[in-house]
Amino acid sequence: MRCGNGIEARQVDELFINIDPIQAGGRLTADAMKAVIAFGDGYSVCDNCRKPNRLDYISKPPIAEFHKDVAKWLNMDAVRTVPGARRGFQAVAHTYVKKGDPVLLTSLSHYTEFLAIEEAGGIAREIPANGQMLVTPEAAAAKIEAVIQESGRAPVLAFIDHVDYQYGNIHDFTGIAKVAHQYDIPVVYNGAYTVGILPVDGKALGADFVVGSGHKSMAAPAPSGVLAVTAEREKEVFRTTAITGDVTNRTFGIKEPEMMGCTLMGVTLVGMMASFPHVKERTKHFDRELANHHTVMEALLSIDGTKCLSEYPRKHTMTRINTIASFDKVAETHKKRGYYLQSALEERGITGVIPGATKIWKFNTYGTTRKQADHLARSFVEIARENGLAARGQIS
Amino acid sequence: MSKRAVDMTFQALFTLTDLRVLLRETAPSHEFDTDQRVQAQRLLENLERQVGSLKQEMLK
Repeated sequence: MRCGNGIEARQVDELFINIDPIQAGGRLTADAMKAVIAFGDGYSVCDNCRKPNRLDYISKPPIAEFHKDVAKWLNMDAVRTVPGARRGFQAVAHTYVKKGDPVLLTSLSHYTEFLAIEEAGGIAREIPANGQMLVTPEAAAAKIEAVIQESGRAPVLAFIDHVDYQYGNIHDFTGIAKVAHQYDIPVVYNGAYTVGILPVDGKALGADFVVGSGHKSMAAPAPSGVLAVTAEREKEVFRTTAITGDVTNRTFGIKEPEMMGCTLMGVTLVGMMASFPHVKERTKHFDRELANHHTVMEALLSIDGTKCLSEYPRKHTMTRINTIASFDKVAETHKKRGYYLQSALEERGITGVIPGATKIWKFNTYGTTRKQADHLARSFVEIARENGLAARGQIS
Repeated sequence: MSKRAVDMTFQALFTLTDLRVLLRETAPSHEFDTDQRVQAQRLLENLERQVGSLKQEMLK
């Protein structure tokens, strides 16, 4: 079935349980899907844009109220919506980083944080993760001292991922922020895998900036996200334009250069707004998500040779596992080679594992129902046994 | 054509959306439990009513 010339209608989440690590938290709610239907046209949220002509002032649909609600929810002072978390990193880096400035991030940081630093002319300096793939306050302190030794000054900014994209591990953001603040380094909280998934209290965490991803973790269309700041930082990152045209003498009101004026002007914003009440509620019930994840993890770890590379017991629903001594052994002789696993999963209505991956791979069970989690657990054990691997898991 | 026809078109699309979500929640088998069956029944009845209203509006 097609929804346009050469565009096959996407039915992945209707036909399969989708455990793609980056897609799970961005699946739309019913209300967001309805908002997409109603607000699909280009500048659809601008019907009632009135002076001072800026997105976050529009009251119909209630965009202004949404901004206030998100700030309150994150316990920060001001919020703007951005086209993805990366644009939040970019706005902050561009505000604080000048050419040659050292900037702190971690050995597990997302590549877009590196690009934000690069674009601003900064120099990336990574806090190394330890053997458990955790970034600690002690390592942060050591790295800051090393940077001071190297360049004669402390980093001007730090990007710290609360949950990293590689292992889904939860790092001691609060401890790291405390260390950074001792050196007057403002800290960006990368909440791409937490804002919309877990409760986030920006001030309690010690964040100067909180960045969230709409399409990764807030059940919103891509590209969408939020950038929240403290009152201290608001006038810096969200400073207003001061430019004037020399011929026309034009000025541009209260538009914000780091936001390039208005940001999400249609379906992305309204989708995020429509999901927001559900997203707020779901962060209070992460324990259910974790229980489902544990069911799947127990089944996977019951297969001889399978190892969890993420911290364990799991504290997040995105996990990196090593199946070199289990599923990959089968791939060595299977006629479909490494593709047998994806094929066997798809036969059972499961998708989202990288095709051909049987060595080290990630998955995310966020949003699955109890029944779907049981099906996932049962399927992994069944596939293992069908291919001659020993598995202790129960098949009910 | 009337505002009512437009409203009914949106309502039908929204009802279909709720059915779509039901399919997502029950993937891959789409086997409904008792509550889901009741929900599907209600949604399909609403949809029939909405399509009926649309026929009245559009084809009168």
